[in-house]
Amino acid sequence: MRPQRKFVLALALVLVSVPALSARAQGEAVPRGPTFGARALQALIDGIQFGVIIAITSVGLSLIFGTIHLINFAHGEFVTIGATFAFYLNAAAAGPGWHLIPAAVAAVAFGALLGGAVERGLWRPLRARGTGLINMFIVTIGLSLLLRHLVLVLYGTRPASFAQYDIQSTIGLGPASITPRDLTVTLLAVLVLLGIAMLLQKTRIGTAVRAVSANRDLAEATGIDVQRVVLFVWMLGGGLAALGGVFFGLVEIVTWDMGFKLLLLMFAGVILGGLGSAYGAMAGSLVIGVVAQMSTLWFPVDLQYAWALLVLIVVLLVRPQGILGQAERVG
Amino acid sequence: MSADEQEQEPVLAADDIVAGYVPGVDVLRGCSIEVRPGEVVGVIGPNGAGKSTLVKAVFGLLRVRGGTVHLRGEEVTNRPAHELVRRGVGYVPQLQNVFPALTVEENLRMGVYLRPKAYARRATAVEELFPLLADRRGQKAGAMSGGERQMLAMARALMMEPQLLLLDEPSAGLSPLHQDHVFDRCRMINSAGVAVLMVEQNARRCLQICDRGYVLDQGRNAHTGTGTALLHDEKVIELYLGTLARVR
Repeated sequence: MRPQRKFVLALALVLVSVPALSARAQGEAVPRGPTFGARALQALIDGIQFGVIIAITSVGLSLIFGTIHLINFAHGEFVTIGATFAFYLNAAAAGPGWHLIPAAVAAVAFGALLGGAVERGLWRPLRARGTGLINMFIVTIGLSLLLRHLVLVLYGTRPASFAQYDIQSTIGLGPASITPRDLTVTLLAVLVLLGIAMLLQKTRIGTAVRAVSANRDLAEATGIDVQRVVLFVWMLGGGLAALGGVFFGLVEIVTWDMGFKLLLLMFAGVILGGLGSAYGAMAGSLVIGVVAQMSTLWFPVDLQYAWALLVLIVVLLVRPQGILGQAERVG
Repeated sequence: MSADEQEQEPVLAADDIVAGYVPGVDVLRGCSIEVRPGEVVGVIGPNGAGKSTLVKAVFGLLRVRGGTVHLRGEEVTNRPAHELVRRGVGYVPQLQNVFPALTVEENLRMGVYLRPKAYARRATAVEELFPLLADRRGQKAGAMSGGERQMLAMARALMMEPQLLLLDEPSAGLSPLHQDHVFDRCRMINSAGVAVLMVEQNARRCLQICDRGYVLDQGRNAHTGTGTALLHDEKVIELYLGTLARVR
């Protein structure tokens, strides 16, 4: 057996045995309440919900990397801006008090426009000047700081919820349960992901996005207006990040740094799935979300993101190109 | 090529082109070429002469630092490549000339990205020229052999019905059989009225099928003439074709 596989097997054995060992060591009886199976099912449901929300936000990040090879450190701020913009329209004292659904639609449109604006006003001129990718990466960090603190000034530090769908009773799903709000968010997120897959696979612009991701110069030489495709990708990425922000704000809470906290998981999903692949980002994000939630069965909640990132390391040891990434010949 | 065609305005005229990849280092240092309607023009020369750089500069993939490019009399210097495709120029790069993750059909569809309604008509036309592609529509381009990829790349470049086709070393890395196939197809494409500008390492084979040829050396024009004249030019044989060419 290869060393990596032995390590994965050993890790799995440790994870399964930790709850029983810890209870026995402390001389405690196994607590009554939901069985391990019921808790596992609940964690799986929560994980899928968390994973599809990360997937929505990370698809844009992956497509941007695929088309212009830029690691957008400011992508988390697009998530925050989507959520806080929807909050302003929906629940802020100074806002117009719209219902959440039109507020969410407006936030997505705003996210798309913001994505398009930064591409036209910042990234395109930088590319035209021949700015290197490392320099542009540093610019994304600066943009991230600027946008995050702009949100801090405008929104404040107080966490808040949207005006609708705040408190709901749960629906039973066998031994587990879910609120109608969370179920709707999960189903909507899955539908959006399927829609993105259809867009990439079946439409002219989607095929052009894949062509530009595969070979930018060849795409230009084929007659594709690469700049226009890149603009489309930024607008799509901005809109999706904003939608992910609204969904995350709905199932959790709206805070000024919510996107920044998600950013590492987005990167993990994108890298785990295979850099530059939209489908990889979806698959990777789902794995990250499920692992983060399932880890709470054995370990403190505070460590759930760390476990997700450990899985990233383990998978990359076994499959360096990620789940759906393609191995490339070097030399 | 007829006398009328010789009189006509050139499809492509590149004058005194200066271009390079690194700031301050020019690969092309005042290179000029001309392609007239219906011609096959070959560009040969040693490694590093600037052959591929010339095609990239003409096609807008590399910034021209000096000189001008005219397409049927209209200046197109430093216009983006997709605009030249719209104006009737097709380009087949030497390497990475297909989208590997896309199917054959998707590759061909990208060829008519600017005119999607023309797909069915043009796909039928290019599949007559490259029958292999008709059976492989659903296959990923990345799974094809080098020769098959070259066929697909040429087919994709022909989807927009170009008046000028730029080929960057179309026989590079192919078996002799596939090389013959590629040169045969070049002649067939040309006989349909498409002017061809071909950059080639296989100088002897290139000059055999060219109406005219240019020999580049260190980014400048070294020799110019008809394909046959260059094939028998003592200096060209000595420096670029090798003395074995005399025997042949």
